[in-house]
Amino acid sequence: MTRRLPVNFILGAVLVALVVGTAALSLVWTPHDATQMAISNKFAAPSATHWLGTDQLGRDVLSQLMAGARNSMAVALVAVLLGGSVGVALGLLASALGGWVEDGVMRLADLGFAFPALLFAIMLAAVFGPSLTNAVLAIAFINIPVFARVTRGAANQVWTLDYVLAARAAGMNRFAISRDHILPNIAAAIIVQATIEFAVAILAEAALSYLGLGAQPPASSWGRLLSEAQTLMYIAPQLAIYPGLCIVVAVVGFGLLGDGLRDMSDPRLSRER
Amino acid sequence: MFQLADFSVSFGTATALRRATLDIRQGDRLGIVGESGSGKTMLALALMGMAPDAAKIGGRLTIDGQDMTHASERTWQQMRARRVAMIFQEPMSALNPLRRIGDTMMEPLIVHEGLSRAQAQARVLALFEEVGIPDPAARLRMFPHELSGGQRQRVLIALALACNPALLIADEPTTALDANVALRITDLLVRLARERGMALVFITHDLAAVARTTKDIVVMYGGDMIERGPTAQVLAAPAHPYTQGLLAARPDPTVPPRDATGKRRRLPTLPGTVPPLAALPQGCRFSGRCSVELPQCAGTRPTDHAVDPDRSAACHLLGAAP
Amino acid sequence: MWYFIFRRTAGFVATLFVVSAVVFSVMNILPGDPALTILGLDATDDALAALREQLGLNQPVLARYVSWVWNALQGDFGISHSFRVPVSELIAERLPMTVSLAVAGMIFTLVIALSLGIGAAARHRKVGDWGVMFISQIGIAVPAFWLSMLLVLLFAVKLRWLPPGGFAGWSDPVAAMRSLVLPTIALGVVQSAVLARVTRSSALEVMRQDFVRTARASGLSRRRVLWRHVLPNALVPIVTIVGMQFAALVTGTIVIENVFYLPGLGRLIFQSISNRDLPTVQALVMLFAAIVVTANFVVDLLYVVIDPRLKART
Ligand SMILES: Nc1ncnc2c1ncn2[C@@H]1O[C@H](COP(=O)(O)OP(=O)(O)O)[C@@H](O)[C@H]1O
Ligand code: SF4
Ligand SMILES: [Mg+2]
Repeated sequence: MTRRLPVNFILGAVLVALVVGTAALSLVWTPHDATQMAISNKFAAPSATHWLGTDQLGRDVLSQLMAGARNSMAVALVAVLLGGSVGVALGLLASALGGWVEDGVMRLADLGFAFPALLFAIMLAAVFGPSLTNAVLAIAFINIPVFARVTRGAANQVWTLDYVLAARAAGMNRFAISRDHILPNIAAAIIVQATIEFAVAILAEAALSYLGLGAQPPASSWGRLLSEAQTLMYIAPQLAIYPGLCIVVAVVGFGLLGDGLRDMSDPRLSRER
Repeated sequence: MFQLADFSVSFGTATALRRATLDIRQGDRLGIVGESGSGKTMLALALMGMAPDAAKIGGRLTIDGQDMTHASERTWQQMRARRVAMIFQEPMSALNPLRRIGDTMMEPLIVHEGLSRAQAQARVLALFEEVGIPDPAARLRMFPHELSGGQRQRVLIALALACNPALLIADEPTTALDANVALRITDLLVRLARERGMALVFITHDLAAVARTTKDIVVMYGGDMIERGPTAQVLAAPAHPYTQGLLAARPDPTVPPRDATGKRRRLPTLPGTVPPLAALPQGCRFSGRCSVELPQCAGTRPTDHAVDPDRSAACHLLGAAP
Repeated sequence: MWYFIFRRTAGFVATLFVVSAVVFSVMNILPGDPALTILGLDATDDALAALREQLGLNQPVLARYVSWVWNALQGDFGISHSFRVPVSELIAERLPMTVSLAVAGMIFTLVIALSLGIGAAARHRKVGDWGVMFISQIGIAVPAFWLSMLLVLLFAVKLRWLPPGGFAGWSDPVAAMRSLVLPTIALGVVQSAVLARVTRSSALEVMRQDFVRTARASGLSRRRVLWRHVLPNALVPIVTIVGMQFAALVTGTIVIENVFYLPGLGRLIFQSISNRDLPTVQALVMLFAAIVVTANFVVDLLYVVIDPRLKART
């Protein structure tokens, strides 16, 4: 095909590469230890050793942001994989069996929308105490109905295709058909959704960590860095800027990438959006 | 009243209307015929000042002597409804589904003529009476989906007539209706034009309908006006090869316009298909499909040649003849 | 139509019950001893036993659920441990704050999104359109709490035009409005960005329809066509989104109230979490979930009112 790549795909891919690359790099190298304090050197201005300066405890801001990228990516990845696989499995099941199973799964999915990630995280935090694990579980949970819907909608279309009907006529079992024919066919739609949900998960993690329901000290998370910065807003406003920018770049990146992927997989959808 | 001189509408390299010339006077009843995509709707929209924003317009359009070629939207708003009005092909979708018929009908009267709601309502009832809508008072409170296609088309006609336009353009007003209803709508339009002394431009590809309704005819192909003259004469003895082909390809009147599944049948066409706009030949638009075709046809645009004192056709064949 | 309304109402009530069951299960059945959670690890056995008795933990789970729902239906959510007053009193005290904020956020969202969305559609493929699309893309990605901080930095810290937080009630309406300005913007921006995009595409869809051409052919101005004909039709699909958005705004207040130190239900939830005040958390989570479900239910009913075609069909 000679069609040009959509602009949103290119821009999204560049931003995502930047964020993922930074997160990967932070696994092996950060300019300084992100958690190492040096009170004597607090609120240092940007310099050759501390490119973005230091925070209220003398920690290197850039190193913390890089560690935050890693944290963000890890949380989003685990949460989307977890919620996504449960959701996809439920969606496939609903589509394969139809009837009351399908109705039941979709009703449950409707119900899922009554619990935004925040409410779920609040319940978990109240019972078990706040932790990053609870935040991941809460974000994974809200992904289940999203993926169940997308999967079931796409799968229902594939079930009506000729060769699927042929496979059924040949006596192939519904679950085998789901695995061998349906899933590969709807993979594109699922990947598009996963990319978009990745962006949502990054936002949710940041919000939960900001509220103290996610990453706990001394772990570096963009959301937590912001909640620390808030109390210092009069002294060191710059600390409130960088983590937010990181979040926006990551979220815009995955959002654009998802839009671009969708435009590429189904140009009809994109035309007038 | 309405004059087009060398009027063109183009989108980049695609020319939807090429150097159209037309003069519409009071009391005229003019038929425009041609296959789909020949530019009939574009011509109508141009007369309403409603050509798409992307279109480039050339030539000259005057209304009552006023140059409207590049008139502002505001100027056009004053013309529409009051000097020129239009009804469209699909009565099903041409009315706002969320508004009661009465509100839709009264809106232009209130906006243009500053009538009160009560005055506007009285006018609407009279209009409904005039276009033959039974039980007008009850219709006012109805929503479009509660009316049949024929009734909706009557409502649209009444809406177009609301501010007493001097010219009414009907763009394939009956294509979406079944034959009986279509016949009654066509006759209604003629009656209204006669009674009101209003000019009528009747766009269609139904040659029988043109014969019933109009005094004059313009045949269009690929954005060109290729033949014109008194309807009866042109249909009886077409001069242009395209018009001849069109008449020969006339549908069998015993075949209903919709097939068993309710889908409209493909319109009768000549052998071959209309090429896309941008791919049309520069000279005679019909060259390539024409069964006669002279060497100069593809490259040189044929000019109008008089056939009779009041008839002309744009074909090199006629220029070549002594 | 009545059948439709009846079915939706039945579904709504059923959903509320299932939601209450979920909330109750998560808060009560999951492993963990609420008494221990509340009193902490160093509590004496006697104290734990007494608290279990008071919470009714010795009764069967089902009985506790039924009595919780039964009492809640009568407006009794139990006693807050930390505040030592009925939870319903706490809620009544703070509800006006949260409702004011959510409603202000909704108004802000509607005004901004509908004007931007319709404006962009009217300038389809022109600079204004691209501008709106670009700004909304950013708006969707900006976390509300960070936007709050930026707003405070600019308007409270730097310019000193507006208070950085707090809310002293409606007794001084001017002061109340001033304290609500920044929270409202912070709360509404994301939803406005989403809704502006939906409005734009919905309006573009409508503008392609024949009746819009009819309206223009009747000599109506572009403005009039846009606001009187296009907008009402574009609203039909928008209404669903608005329902979800109101729900999102209500839960969004939880975050915003914590950023701006506003004494509403969102602050209360967090105070209750740190005070390990489980009955209060349970009541508040249920309340928020109920608001979300109710918003979606109301939207379903609104549909019938807006679209006369539905009235006939259902
Ligand atoms: N916005 C547009 N951009 C490009 N081409 C257009 C546009 N609108 C109409 N056209 C072209 O103008 C030609 C004339 O169309 P139309 O006037 O609707 O034909 P008719 O009414 O005779 O069927 C068609 O070939 C159509 O593709
Ligand atoms: S000008 Fe030539 S091609 Fe065109 S109709 Fe006449 S003979 Fe045919
Ligand atoms: Mg047409």
